[in-house]
Amino acid sequence: MAGGDKGRPSKKHKSSSAKEDRRATVVDDEDAYYAEELDDDYRGEGKKRDFSKLELKPDHVNRPLWACADGRIFLETFSPLYKQAYDFLIAIAEPVLKKLLKDGVIAAARIISEGVHGSDGFAIGKSLGELENGHSELLNEAELAAAAEEKETHSFEVDPAQVENVKQRCLPNALNYPMLEEYDFRNDTVNPDLDMELKPQAQPRPYQEKSLSKMFGNGRARSGIIVLPCGAGKSLVGVSAASRIKKSCLCLATNAVSVDQWAFQFKLWSTIRDEQICRFTSDNKEIFRGNAGVVVTTYNMVAFGGKRSEESEKIIEEIRNREWGLLLMDEVHVVPAHMFRKVISITKSHCKLGLTATLVREDERITDLNFLIGPKLYEANWLDLVKGGFIANVQCAEVWCPMTKEFFAEYLKKENSKKRQALYVMNPNKFRACEFLIRFHEQQRGDKIIVFADNLFALVEYATKLRKPMIYGATSHVERTKILDTFKHSRNVNTIFLSKVGDNSIDIPEANVIIQISSHAGSRRQEAQRLGRILRAKGRIQDRVAGGKEEYNAFFYSLVSTDTQVITSLPPPDTGADLSYHRLDEQIALLGKVLSVGDDAVGLELLEEDPDDIALHKTTRRAGSMSAMSGAKGMIYMEYNSGRNKQHGQKKAKPKDPTKRHDLFRKRFV
Amino acid sequence: MLQVTLRSCFCVMVNAIKGLLISCDIPMAQFIIYLDNSLPTSQKFIIHILDSTHLFVQPHVSEMIRSAIAEFRDQNSYEKPS
Repeated sequence: MAGGDKGRPSKKHKSSSAKEDRRATVVDDEDAYYAEELDDDYRGEGKKRDFSKLELKPDHVNRPLWACADGRIFLETFSPLYKQAYDFLIAIAEPVLKKLLKDGVIAAARIISEGVHGSDGFAIGKSLGELENGHSELLNEAELAAAAEEKETHSFEVDPAQVENVKQRCLPNALNYPMLEEYDFRNDTVNPDLDMELKPQAQPRPYQEKSLSKMFGNGRARSGIIVLPCGAGKSLVGVSAASRIKKSCLCLATNAVSVDQWAFQFKLWSTIRDEQICRFTSDNKEIFRGNAGVVVTTYNMVAFGGKRSEESEKIIEEIRNREWGLLLMDEVHVVPAHMFRKVISITKSHCKLGLTATLVREDERITDLNFLIGPKLYEANWLDLVKGGFIANVQCAEVWCPMTKEFFAEYLKKENSKKRQALYVMNPNKFRACEFLIRFHEQQRGDKIIVFADNLFALVEYATKLRKPMIYGATSHVERTKILDTFKHSRNVNTIFLSKVGDNSIDIPEANVIIQISSHAGSRRQEAQRLGRILRAKGRIQDRVAGGKEEYNAFFYSLVSTDTQVITSLPPPDTGADLSYHRLDEQIALLGKVLSVGDDAVGLELLEEDPDDIALHKTTRRAGSMSAMSGAKGMIYMEYNSGRNKQHGQKKAKPKDPTKRHDLFRKRFV
Repeated sequence: MLQVTLRSCFCVMVNAIKGLLISCDIPMAQFIIYLDNSLPTSQKFIIHILDSTHLFVQPHVSEMIRSAIAEFRDQNSYEKPS
């Protein structure tokens, strides 16, 4: 969304009652706002302006938008017209056309100059079927009228090899002309149509409809990224997009399990026939027949550079040669930019749709998505979805577990510095808290629980001690499927232990409790993704909406050993010997075990790609590096955080009405 | 969690020793013991380890302990690099 940054609703001045106050607040907020996050050149201006003496229009109540001289627009979220104004902003923030060709890079990428068309439409590059539109800067409110008349289109064809350069050139740090990539799929007669429709029972929810309408805004398919919280139904959006374009579709997922899930989703939601869809993973090489279809595969399979078997070589050749109507990319935030580049260079696709729940990374590489895929098309407001009951309302809690004497003494010793993590993860108090929580949720609420542990040693120890199944990197695909299946369907298996592999894409809709025994502690992405595992709303919808029976139906616990990593007391003191490691000698035996294993064994599980590692190297974690174009300057996420913190805060900062608190918290609130 | 109360008191025995009574949580006591162990004998400050949450130490070390704890805590908190 080109205007995402400007169109972002400013929620800061929500509470004021009288208009007079409100006006003053706007000005004040602006100052604060600039000081916080704007570039230095803006800072000065912000302070000078004080409009509080100006007369307000008599109908100001019906005017929720405030346009400032610097092109910044404020939107009052409390206004009754908020929704309409929000849509209006998004609609007008789409780019107007202007000349781009003066720029050297872009001129070089141009193939045939077609001159200026006076017409209202776009010309279609025949060979590509897609079009690069050069666009001008965003509209100010004031320019709107003028722009409405300026409907001239300039079109030129871009050399396919240069597409990325052109896109990069248009980013804010160069030309700052936001651009969109569009595919006129209806007029594409070169590529065969795929016969698939959404099944009638597939009812996209309002926000899913909206995200699709952003993508298919003017009858063409736009490339870009759709951000929906986990559990909000990203797959349905993907399948709907594919069945609207009705061309061959290449769907990329992160691992074999999610490949299966995508294939299943396609069959579930659309009328696609079984022979039109095939999976391509290392264990599952289905050959693609017919002239159009859906191929579901992993990023690794496509980008793999080494030698392949003859069979997969054939399939990859097929993927390379085909012109894909839609390149559907799941979990775009996890895949490193160079991998994308490779995938995109290998496959020829007209339209790219990226799906993600977390448009944040602890490195700077999220910006690359902008020119590799496209701008952010739509981002759902997390809080609105929670209010609507579309995703679960999660109670988050950090459980502080003090280290025991013996463990902490070892923790402090210098020779154990490599084992520190193992020591605080294996802290008996933490173990007991974990066991207590599992027991509470299993027995009293009948919940399904996922326990996450980054530390492999701890994962194995916990799981064996508590006799629960676990999945980690080395678990084979068959076994994973089996474990997940039992977890989903069996009444006896209500808890599973997952290592980092479970962070993304493993679809466990049944689970509604997460316990983190060790985490990365610096990765917003990891927490958000883990949180996503339980966000899928469960239970009846009327219970879920705000004020319903169960205000919280999902729980997220982070167990933290105090005095080890940054930042209640569980289990309650009256639980004694029924939990493990009650007696000192047991605790000491455990300590001995931790100390006796080799340093390597207690380390973190190393996965091939680990986007979170970067943050551990204490790299620069700059706020607001995300280009304004995609609108994800972290601001949107701050909004999310405030949502989560609010729930958090109920436990920490401002205790709310105790009667509304959930049982577990009512009894043990500290 | 990490509150360390330093109270002046006298330990009246045959030899009266002036010192500080530290009461804190279990891990913090371990930290102070660790700190004490890492010092050379001449600078050791713990007079008595009373139990897992109480220590009796030399009267002059309160500032030193406080700063050591502050330093330790700083190591543990994630700082957003600017």
